[in-house]
Amino acid sequence: MGASPARLVIALSVAGALAIFVVYTALAGNGVANLTPSTVAGHTGHVSLVGKVAGKPQGNAYHGGGLRFQLKDIDHGTPARVPVVYHGAVPDQFKTGADLVVEGALLNGVFVAKRGSMITKCPDHYAAAKPKT
Amino acid sequence: MAPLGRAALLLAFGLVFYALVAGSYAAWKRRRRLALSAQNALIAAFPVTLVAAIILLVALGRRDMSFVYVWQHTSHKLPLGYALSAFWGGQEGSLLLWLLVLTGYAALAVWLNRRSRDLVAWTVPVFGLVAVFFAFMLCFVSSPFGLQPTRADGNGMVPSLQNPYMLAHPPLLYLGYVGLTVPFAFAMGALLSGRTDERWIVATRRWTLAAWTFLGVGQLIGAHWAYVEIGWGGYYAWDPVENAALMPWLAATAFLHSVMIQEKRGMLKVWNMVLVALAFNLSLFGTFLTRSGVINSIHSFSKSSIGGWFLAFLGLMIFFSIALIRWRLPLLRTKTKLESLVSREATFLYNNLLLVALALTILWGVLYPILSDAVRGETRSVSKPYYDFFLHTFGLPLLLLMGLGPLVAWRRASLRSLGKTFVIPFTVAVATGVALLALGFGSSWPGLLTYTFSAFVAASIVLEFVRGRAAAGGIFRLIARNRRRYGGYIVHAAIVLLAIGIAGSSAYQTQREQVLKPGQSIEAAGYILTYTGLNGVKGSNYTGFRALLAVSGHGERFRLNPGMNNYAIEGPSNEASIYHDPRSLGDVFTTAQLAGKHTNMIDVKVFVKPLVNLIWVAGFVFVAGALIAMWPDAVEQRRLAARYAAGAAPAGI
Repeated sequence: MGASPARLVIALSVAGALAIFVVYTALAGNGVANLTPSTVAGHTGHVSLVGKVAGKPQGNAYHGGGLRFQLKDIDHGTPARVPVVYHGAVPDQFKTGADLVVEGALLNGVFVAKRGSMITKCPDHYAAAKPKT
Repeated sequence: MAPLGRAALLLAFGLVFYALVAGSYAAWKRRRRLALSAQNALIAAFPVTLVAAIILLVALGRRDMSFVYVWQHTSHKLPLGYALSAFWGGQEGSLLLWLLVLTGYAALAVWLNRRSRDLVAWTVPVFGLVAVFFAFMLCFVSSPFGLQPTRADGNGMVPSLQNPYMLAHPPLLYLGYVGLTVPFAFAMGALLSGRTDERWIVATRRWTLAAWTFLGVGQLIGAHWAYVEIGWGGYYAWDPVENAALMPWLAATAFLHSVMIQEKRGMLKVWNMVLVALAFNLSLFGTFLTRSGVINSIHSFSKSSIGGWFLAFLGLMIFFSIALIRWRLPLLRTKTKLESLVSREATFLYNNLLLVALALTILWGVLYPILSDAVRGETRSVSKPYYDFFLHTFGLPLLLLMGLGPLVAWRRASLRSLGKTFVIPFTVAVATGVALLALGFGSSWPGLLTYTFSAFVAASIVLEFVRGRAAAGGIFRLIARNRRRYGGYIVHAAIVLLAIGIAGSSAYQTQREQVLKPGQSIEAAGYILTYTGLNGVKGSNYTGFRALLAVSGHGERFRLNPGMNNYAIEGPSNEASIYHDPRSLGDVFTTAQLAGKHTNMIDVKVFVKPLVNLIWVAGFVFVAGALIAMWPDAVEQRRLAARYAAGAAPAGI
């Protein structure tokens, strides 16, 4: 044992934590890509799509072809629109103009969302209400 | 009124700026009268800020739509309580609340310690520095007193914010966030003055404990709000906004433990400075995170121009903290060394390392989207599996240490004494683990380990109380004699309840979802829920429906009525229906949505969450333990006065 066991403990702990971290990253990958309608094109794997509901949603989330709607970028005025098809529970705040996140994959130009993965952004005390115009 | 509010804020800015500049000069040149003047300016900033706060509250109460802030966040029909809660419902009001709490804390802390002149001399300008930033933002960047031509009505408040929790959750979090400024200011003041003994710790221990308690309770209340209001069956989503409060709480938890090592053994001085700076800077980082909108969150941050200001201030404070600690390193070195890796101080050190590792892995998860964007040009994020993995990896050993630490001797413990001390908790834990395996709880190893470790910790706490009671002659006398220690044990008991509740409601949760016609049933964890029909409901500003569910199972029969309200202005809102099962201390949680227009079919979601109510019970136990630990103790004060006989003993709250 050296002169300062505390330093040894700290050094070993840091090394241990880093080792766990590296092993986790190697085994579990490195996260899911967060994409927007303007950046999702060309991605074929499982991704998270963030956008604003554009136009009127069609269909039914519980039957047949599912709920169909389009997403556009939240912040930028880009013309990109991505058609989305979704099945499962629909959050409270879902409507035209709502900001939301869905997980899924792009298939032949349509974003097929994972069942029940839709989350609308939760209004909270950090957000200023958007002024009505 | 608005000009008066602006004038009050300008005056507050002037006062805290004076406290910063004059206080620094006075501390540097040892000018006693100037230091007192700076101190008085800091104390005066509180009532002046209070005037600004009252003006905003009056405007909110009167729904004065000539105030842009009032128009943005309230409406004439909004009940008074919620209209007043809009004080922290937006950015400008939140900043004002921050400054109000900060100046209030600073005034009280400085006044209580006014006799410890050398301790307070440099603390005043540090408080001043932080307050100057917030006062500057309110005066020149984001004022709550902006005016406009009066409008007929305001934008109102989102339905989910019209909830009694809105009255408690945000202010409690602010009391916690801002409260961490007190130990930070005293620590930096101690470094600047070169008085790096334990006095700054003694002066701020209760402040830290109070801030930590507010932050903990604020988070639990927020979790309960999300649970009953949002209708997703969960209470914590590892969202950046939630993590923003968890990280400083973890750092403060580590600090509360490690200060005991410094008080008892004079060790870990550098580490304590690092922890107090980490906790404060993480609370600033949380504000930057929520204000800047740089990270995507399920909470709808509005992208705001003040993010850049916060980032600059955060950078300044990190640099300031590191530079000061680096400068005073020679003064922080101690001769006392860790004598053994099996000792009370060693277990506290392990506990600290695990808490900091957990906080930093959460920080990494929060920053990951920014870093991946910077390095790879693509924003990627980590989610629940990442956080769950590290919660298990670092959280489970932490739970075990909670049972080990308090029973291990200071300095050095022999293996023989350890065997003697731990034979009962160890036996209880093994028996619990085996019994749980036999009962079929082996399906989740984190769940099984959590319960086994919880049994170990609970047994060691009970053992401590039993032994102590025999010596003290009664449980109340025992607690009164050493409030800090036994209050701490009660907080540990709360964490055990929390761990059991989290493990039960996540590791052993059952979730089912199905579209039902009237007469059809859904089964979940032994409960049969039969859908019998729909009822319409109507309120003053909404219409909606309730699904009628007849539930039977586990020898019980009850009804649940989940549904939705459609608010005329604000839109639809889920209305979850929850049955609290006293037998399992858990919930049967249901939501229902119409599965299409012109139909009585519903999409039902059922969550059976065993033991979830222990999480909320833990909150009450946590507060009780924290209150006991921070309750003023005359014996302790006399002991401290004797220790610091050369000067006046610093006063806690």
